[in-house]
Amino acid sequence: MTQTHTPVKRGKCASALRMIWRQRSLQLFVLFGVAYLIIFSYIPMMGILMAFKNYKISSGIRGLFTSPWVGMKYFVEFYTDYNFWSIIRNTLVMSLIKMAFTFPLPILLALVLNEVRNVKIKKIVQTTSYLPYFISWVIVVGFAQLFLQFNGVINVMLQRLGVIDKAIPFLTGEKYFLPIAVVTACWKDMGWWAILFLAAITGIDPTLYEAAEIDGAGRLQRIWHITMSGIRGTVTVVLILALGNLLGGGLSGSNFEQAYLIGNDGNNAVSEIVQTYVMKMGLSKGRYPYAAAISLCQSVISVFLVLTSNFVSKKASGNSLF
Amino acid sequence: MSQLGAMTARRRGHTRRTMEDRVVDAVVYIFIAVVFIVTAYPFWLSIVLAFNEGKDAQYGGIFFWPRKFSLDNFKELIRDSQWGQALGVSVARTVLGTVVTVIGTSVVAYGLSYKQLVGRKVYMALFIFAMYFSGGIIPYYMVLRQIKLLNTFFVYIIPGMINMFYVLVSISFFQEIPGELGESARLDGAGEMSIFLRVMLPISKPLLATLAIFMAVGQWNNWFDTAFFTQNKALRTMAYQLMSVIKKSSLGQANMDAYTSSLAQSSFTTTSIMLAAMLVAVGPILIVYPFFQRYFVTGLTIGSVKG
Repeated sequence: MTQTHTPVKRGKCASALRMIWRQRSLQLFVLFGVAYLIIFSYIPMMGILMAFKNYKISSGIRGLFTSPWVGMKYFVEFYTDYNFWSIIRNTLVMSLIKMAFTFPLPILLALVLNEVRNVKIKKIVQTTSYLPYFISWVIVVGFAQLFLQFNGVINVMLQRLGVIDKAIPFLTGEKYFLPIAVVTACWKDMGWWAILFLAAITGIDPTLYEAAEIDGAGRLQRIWHITMSGIRGTVTVVLILALGNLLGGGLSGSNFEQAYLIGNDGNNAVSEIVQTYVMKMGLSKGRYPYAAAISLCQSVISVFLVLTSNFVSKKASGNSLF
Repeated sequence: MSQLGAMTARRRGHTRRTMEDRVVDAVVYIFIAVVFIVTAYPFWLSIVLAFNEGKDAQYGGIFFWPRKFSLDNFKELIRDSQWGQALGVSVARTVLGTVVTVIGTSVVAYGLSYKQLVGRKVYMALFIFAMYFSGGIIPYYMVLRQIKLLNTFFVYIIPGMINMFYVLVSISFFQEIPGELGESARLDGAGEMSIFLRVMLPISKPLLATLAIFMAVGQWNNWFDTAFFTQNKALRTMAYQLMSVIKKSSLGQANMDAYTSSLAQSSFTTTSIMLAAMLVAVGPILIVYPFFQRYFVTGLTIGSVKG
């Protein structure tokens, strides 16, 4: 690309063409990718237009341009929707509480695993801990049901111990939704993200530990001052990534699947989030422009979150994604 | 890893164990024991319950071992044509989807990894932008509808043909291959295509294995596209079937079904068949996991080296 800036334009142009011809199969590989991007990424981005238009899905892609503008109509409608505040509250509460638990826990697990001296035990526990990452949310919620049903492990245990007389409706009770979401999210993803932090720990210079030991630092002091400060850069980058997808559910983006699969008529008042509402309005009720507008609100907030967290961490610690 | 081993060995050699060491060790081992049990037990419990007679399992109280061992749940699962067909669709989409995505992703990444590619910066910018921004699910649905992928088997295959995250991962992998390998083949007069096929792909097996594992797991677990992009019953997958049973049973629907089936003199219940199905759905992952474990990890670490 830089070649076009040189004064001898014509000769360069010809040589660029010759180069393209020589690398024609590679160009075709990449153009195939670009075609894919246009269809599955860039046309959908253009599709955001529908949020501002009186758009009918039957008019297809062309309809994006021919349908009449309605301005902010759908955004105002969302704002005045009687579900608006509860959906926003549910989305924020779920995202923040999950972040508070799912972000520190992998770091803790990595620190603990790093202190295990028996290599074999360490390997077995670590390998087991990230197995759940590869299991679908459907199965995870199925597991949760085995424990939380009326005749599930927890209710039966509590009844046998005499703590409760009547089984607790964990799966349909409003106050149990968030705890279930948090626990299952930790269970599923903790081990996987711990790999990242463990990899960062492996990169710490071992002589630092020796020096600290000679200086009389105890085990906990070494963990805090050497291990923790050694992975600070990784922690920051992962935190930016997680905050960027805060509304999607953090690193693994599990809010939709959790809200959809754990949510039901019993706990709907707390489990309905922006993403499930978008699916309900859009794909189930066929109100496409309205759903696109709601979804756009979340995207705008997300982009804002990525940029802000990136900016703040660049100022504060010099670590950033871009 | 070896660095770490050396470090702990050195640490062990040097010092006397203080009180603090003992306390930390105790806490560490209790913590990892809890992590291990909490992670493994749900798998074990579901295996136990799947091999227990369904009607008996309803009474609860089974924790560690089947009370009334039975294979009826699995027999019923195979007999039921709905589950059988779903299993077939799941296998088909996993095999075809994995092959197509591995080819698509590695081919595009290989092209982009070539440093002298004319227009490389523009192409890269297009890819990176598309990773950070998306139009959202509704406009995406509009596109699928327009190109007539809704309600077809190909909605499982074509939209996932290129995985953008793994394109970036693969680019960094290809760029680590020494340039001389390609150059010497080029001097011998080989075309770019044959360099890719004969030189690059054979030495990229670890990458291809990693891609294949992740794509296969993704395909196998996916219920979203079945739920929202198809209405055709013949296209239902195992993951989708499970999803719909699990979603219903959270409301206690399964208990009702269990009651009806108990009247029908059969030993299984909706829940017990669901458990058998869950096991069939998790089974392939559990089986390949120990063998391909290192590829499962590289999927994260190759990418993170760059990030």
